[in-house]
Amino acid sequence: MLLSPFVGLLILLCLKNEQKFLIRAVAVTAGGISLGLAIFTFVTYDKSLGGLQFVEKYEWVKTFGITYYVGVEGLNAPMLLLTGIVIFTGCLTMWELETRTKEYFIWMMALVTGVFGVFMSYDMFFFFLFYEIAVVPMYILILVWGSTRKEYAAMKLTLYLMAGSGLIIPGILLLYASSGLNTFNMVLLHGAHFTPWVQKVAFILLFFGFGVLAAVWPFHTWSPVGHVAAPTAVSMLHAGVLMKLGSFAILRVAMFLLPEGFQYWANLMMILATVGIVYGVFVGLAQTDLKYVIGYSSVSHMGIVCLGLSTGTIDGLNGSVFQMFAHGIMTALFFSSVGYIYDRTHTRDIHQLGGFSKIMPVASAFFITAALCGAGVPGMASFWAELLVFIATVKVFPIAGLLAIAALVVGALFALRVVQNSFFNTPNPKFVHFEDVSPFLAIPRMILIGTLLLFGFFPQVMVSMIKSSVVPFLQGM
Amino acid sequence: MNMMLFGPELYYLGMALVFFCLSLRRQVQVQLDYQIALALSAVGVLVAGVCLFQQGDLFFKAYRVDLFSQIFKFALALGLFLVLMISHNLPSIEERYQAEFYLFLTTTTIGMMMLVSSVELLTIYVALELSSYSLYILVPLRRGDGIDVEAGIKYLFIGAVSSGFMLFGLSYIFGATGSTYLSDILPKMTQLVNSPIGIIGLLLSMAGFFFKLSVFPFHFWAPDVYQGGANQVVAFIATASKAAAVALLLRLAVLGHAFGYNFTIALVILSVVSMTLGNLVAIVQKDFKRMLAYSSIAHAGVFLMGVLTLTEGGFIGAIYYALAYLVMNFTVFMVLSEVATDGRDLKIAELAGLYRRSPLLMMSLILGIFALAGVPPSIGFTGKLLIFTSAMSAGYFWLVLIGAVNGTICLYYYLKVIYAAYFIDDPGLPVIKLSLPIKLLNYALAAIIIGFGFCPDRIIELAKAAAKMVL
Repeated sequence: MLLSPFVGLLILLCLKNEQKFLIRAVAVTAGGISLGLAIFTFVTYDKSLGGLQFVEKYEWVKTFGITYYVGVEGLNAPMLLLTGIVIFTGCLTMWELETRTKEYFIWMMALVTGVFGVFMSYDMFFFFLFYEIAVVPMYILILVWGSTRKEYAAMKLTLYLMAGSGLIIPGILLLYASSGLNTFNMVLLHGAHFTPWVQKVAFILLFFGFGVLAAVWPFHTWSPVGHVAAPTAVSMLHAGVLMKLGSFAILRVAMFLLPEGFQYWANLMMILATVGIVYGVFVGLAQTDLKYVIGYSSVSHMGIVCLGLSTGTIDGLNGSVFQMFAHGIMTALFFSSVGYIYDRTHTRDIHQLGGFSKIMPVASAFFITAALCGAGVPGMASFWAELLVFIATVKVFPIAGLLAIAALVVGALFALRVVQNSFFNTPNPKFVHFEDVSPFLAIPRMILIGTLLLFGFFPQVMVSMIKSSVVPFLQGM
Repeated sequence: MNMMLFGPELYYLGMALVFFCLSLRRQVQVQLDYQIALALSAVGVLVAGVCLFQQGDLFFKAYRVDLFSQIFKFALALGLFLVLMISHNLPSIEERYQAEFYLFLTTTTIGMMMLVSSVELLTIYVALELSSYSLYILVPLRRGDGIDVEAGIKYLFIGAVSSGFMLFGLSYIFGATGSTYLSDILPKMTQLVNSPIGIIGLLLSMAGFFFKLSVFPFHFWAPDVYQGGANQVVAFIATASKAAAVALLLRLAVLGHAFGYNFTIALVILSVVSMTLGNLVAIVQKDFKRMLAYSSIAHAGVFLMGVLTLTEGGFIGAIYYALAYLVMNFTVFMVLSEVATDGRDLKIAELAGLYRRSPLLMMSLILGIFALAGVPPSIGFTGKLLIFTSAMSAGYFWLVLIGAVNGTICLYYYLKVIYAAYFIDDPGLPVIKLSLPIKLLNYALAAIIIGFGFCPDRIIELAKAAAKMVL
């Protein structure tokens, strides 16, 4: 379904050689098509009906019970939309790339294929397969097109994520083996009754395994380093979409299949998430590199997602999924504007940038919007998401909820400090001659802001969508 | 009809005779020899393919032809053909010995083909020695400064010692059961459950194949032989001979069914040590072939994991992975031998700039390395997953966990290869020109690695039918 443009695109990219314009055009078109399809599924999904729609199912390997099984429901429709938006804007953002253009877009498309696949798969084999496809190209993307200690960052990131996979495989296989159903189909496995031991062990394996990608607190260290080193569009995809894979997978696989395991470990999840939120904010305070600032704020925002998941309530899950979406768009905007600034000035140091808004008012405006959104200003999508999560958390875990809210207030403070220092101080005379964002390059950023505002003012569109799946999801637990 | 049953073996025997005659000539015609070899081995693949669905017994039932053996024969024929594909220039082997090079490759192939069909202890031993002796000669055939001789002697000694172990084990089994036929031994094994003779005999008899597969503690030869042998010879050792060893381990392991836990725990230990040791030592290697040697030790552990489940699923996984390993390891060796056109040992750092020097080889290298590392969508990933799945189904939770952690460790050194080839550039190095057949070979291997990794169903069904023949 959504995969088809990408497979076609991969083939196309393998054929072209030096025609850079064509390559970019093809990449953007493919991104555009997938965005169109994602919007189409999002709009046409029948909320009143609920459940899985747009299902495609084929027997793949009978002997081992592997089926190709993809579909869309309220939980992953927002994720697909998010991926579509980020890939489209990401391709547009990288329009100016000159070095090894073709290879870059090939890897990027491979990555996106994987991401779409993960969000849609209902078979654990394909889930994991796509998961790995989404993770591995990161190594090469960061290594070749990255900046700032890229070799270290690329290796660290890949090893961390693969170590996560090393936990996921036994987890998944344990489920497969102990169910006795000889199937990887998650919907069927959902009905299987696992013993308490399996529930606990498999849940913790899967939680830590996927948690690495979701930058759950003690396993987050790869993430700021990776974000800093990655090229702009990869940072966008990575922070915007890939980290969501982790939290989505915790929801989709771990919580969906192992409700008892979840109950058992919910407190641990909550504690780690809260530590992550607080830690992210305070470490972020000390950074002077804009990308590190965003990197740590991502850690703290992903903490909010996990916190929402750990509550296990309707509001909590709603907020979590909404937050995944909102944070994805927001970080994409962040990285996209920082990337633009960095390409021109070759610095991301807050103090060097000084009063940047006087030089590039438009580019700065993009960043400031994202910062406001990150601080949870009403009218932006993430406001509603965070609100939902906090309401749920305060009900279930009052202390953690209050701590998280306090941290967020500090977080707002630090976002404002960053904005003030880098955009409203005296301008650095070195950068005066730079021109502002051209209208063409502004398009992707405008799309992102538009999305944030759209769902900020009409959160009901998103919430009702998510809710249509969350309610049966929780009943199933 | 008997002729058809013995078809591939007879064909390769004929081929060996041809090379024998060629090697007697006084005037060497390298190019002609090569073309003959390539053409003959290509036909050989066809012959093995035609005989794929033959079935029957030969030589007083010491020799069984079934889908299991025929699949492996096909794999061996394919392995020989592939290795000859990259033998178009053999700088590391003296010209007057090149006919012998083809001759011994052919005889070792015959030996392995007979090996995978043997179901009688003595036949197994004789076939094993036939294949081993040819390799003992091939390894030191390299033109070199003594490193080849060192490798050859190490290979011979450790091979001889493991053969000794194996004979000792075979004598135990024969002594305890009074038969050399596997089919007769199998029911009698249950009587030996309470005495150590059966299990010790069985483990010792497997030693010969542990050696071939470079399982710990018979792995010491691998790094030196990989480094010291000519690239093409090593490619053959690293691909075809591994497949044959897996086949025989599967045949023999079935005998261990009766011993249950006592037998499998021994294999579990060997598997864990092989995987961990291979992966950890591979990290520090600088020489590409040496690194691949340690990676093969680690892979031996994975194969053992499939073998020790003693279930259909595990055997399917092992067969699938053996075929997959043949293709993906060969892909890496192909890149290696194409880059090292003068037949030298390649350092990993010497891969620098490969993405510019030959994008096609770079693609193959990435696919081959990622497949070895078990990254999807590749045959390596699917094979590993099948093996892990069945090991988990058989209840080896910790083994799978260790295997998966090892999967992470190995990624580090595999990525270093990608790093060297894709990121570092050395402008001094020239562009690598590939001939048309090699280009086609690249595309074919890439298609196989991705295609059968993503759609493994056909191979799995085949492997399933084959696994039923052994169990």
